[in-house]
Amino acid sequence: MSKSIFELVDQLPTGGTTIMALNALDFVIPGQWQNLTGFTNTIRSVTGESDEAMIQAIGERAVYLYNDEGEGYQRAMWLYQTVDNAAGALGMAAMANKIGQDVSFLGFLGNLTPKPEKVQSIDLCVKLVVELVAYCQINGLPGDSVGDFLAALGDYGGESLMRMVALICFDGLIPLGPGFIDKGLGTLNNMTPNELEKNDTFKSVSTLIPGNNSSDKLGFIGQSFDSVRGWMTGFVDEKGLTQQNTLDNLQKFVKISEDKLDYVGAFLDISVKYYTHTGTQTLARRLIERAVAEL
Amino acid sequence: MMNKTKLDWRIDWRKGVMALVLCLTLAVSGCQTQAPSQFDQVQKDSTARNATPAVAKDATKGGEFNKFFPKGQDGYERVYTQEKKGFAEAKLKKDGKELAMLAVTDTRSLPAAAAKFANAKATIAGYPSVDLGTTQTSVLVSDRYQVKVISKAPSFDKEARAKWIQKFDLNGLSKLK
Repeated sequence: MSKSIFELVDQLPTGGTTIMALNALDFVIPGQWQNLTGFTNTIRSVTGESDEAMIQAIGERAVYLYNDEGEGYQRAMWLYQTVDNAAGALGMAAMANKIGQDVSFLGFLGNLTPKPEKVQSIDLCVKLVVELVAYCQINGLPGDSVGDFLAALGDYGGESLMRMVALICFDGLIPLGPGFIDKGLGTLNNMTPNELEKNDTFKSVSTLIPGNNSSDKLGFIGQSFDSVRGWMTGFVDEKGLTQQNTLDNLQKFVKISEDKLDYVGAFLDISVKYYTHTGTQTLARRLIERAVAEL
Repeated sequence: MMNKTKLDWRIDWRKGVMALVLCLTLAVSGCQTQAPSQFDQVQKDSTARNATPAVAKDATKGGEFNKFFPKGQDGYERVYTQEKKGFAEAKLKKDGKELAMLAVTDTRSLPAAAAKFANAKATIAGYPSVDLGTTQTSVLVSDRYQVKVISKAPSFDKEARAKWIQKFDLNGLSKLK
């Protein structure tokens, strides 16, 4: 049995590289993400409830819902965790060589290989699709129309919005530059199902991506990415996001020298688990909201 | 031959480091005693082999409830947020600010939720009504469907919750089979 939902939420870190990196993105959505950790703490914050018996009852129902495998919550958690770990596997192998030597950030960068642009583009697209699939596992398809569904997506806030900001910045702008959306789409359009099958991130989550075979799945990924490109382009424009201002803000938290920029993406890949972190927070919030409604 | 020996040494060296890391991990995690949690019992119950599923098999599909929700009006915005078997929920917003959550649930999955209405002293629109905790008001329709409004902003008080419960199509919901 994997970890319980209350353990996962209780064990969310309050410091470390992931939290520092996410805090570095506060400039994009000021004050909208607080690092909410702890299961009962999350219940209090999400519901505004102070009655201890009620908090216990909400928590118990949430635990029940999470443990019902048919409800999709565990699949969503698996997706968030897996997509983070797949990206980190390669980098970890490189880091293993460095044990006992210089472990400062810059020394450590020297042992990372920048990811080829194509691999990074696929990662970006696959991560976005994971978000959509996890969203549906957690929330179903709210409302009766496409408009309702888009409104639900447009209502992203807090940790969910922060996850998308991190996707745009850490997996888009920093490694791929300002044309990251077109690079993502271009890569997908020129790709064969065979090539997709070789991508580690895709391999790790492909079982939960809709489609009977890699060709279908490639189509689904392309359509999904295409359907949110408008939102993403608008968001980048509205917030005035550039590779430079993202890096400037990141540098307030982590020292990066200008000639090592190629490696920043690889560093972020292995040390920042933002999907797992904010995904756990999103899942807990939704479970708690449902539990309150059902009691 | 020389190369091969060198390679073997490298692999062994890495294996050694991995083993060391594993041992350290085990040692560190093994020493930590997990503090008991107030949710240990429910975790045990809900993961037991014969545990009752969280959602009843015959629960009504969440999508069936959507049409009975109040519509966005007079500057109020309704955004559907979740739709699962036996459950649908929407957020009520005004000027971009979250005021409340609106929800319909099928108590077939959680009979205790319906049982609490047995002692209800109040009614809203003729349906038995109860307040729960400090932020929730709900009614029970057809002894089965719970319609609940949950405050998310301090300004959205008990009175507002009762008002918004009446904006649901409760009679329509009562005819749902």
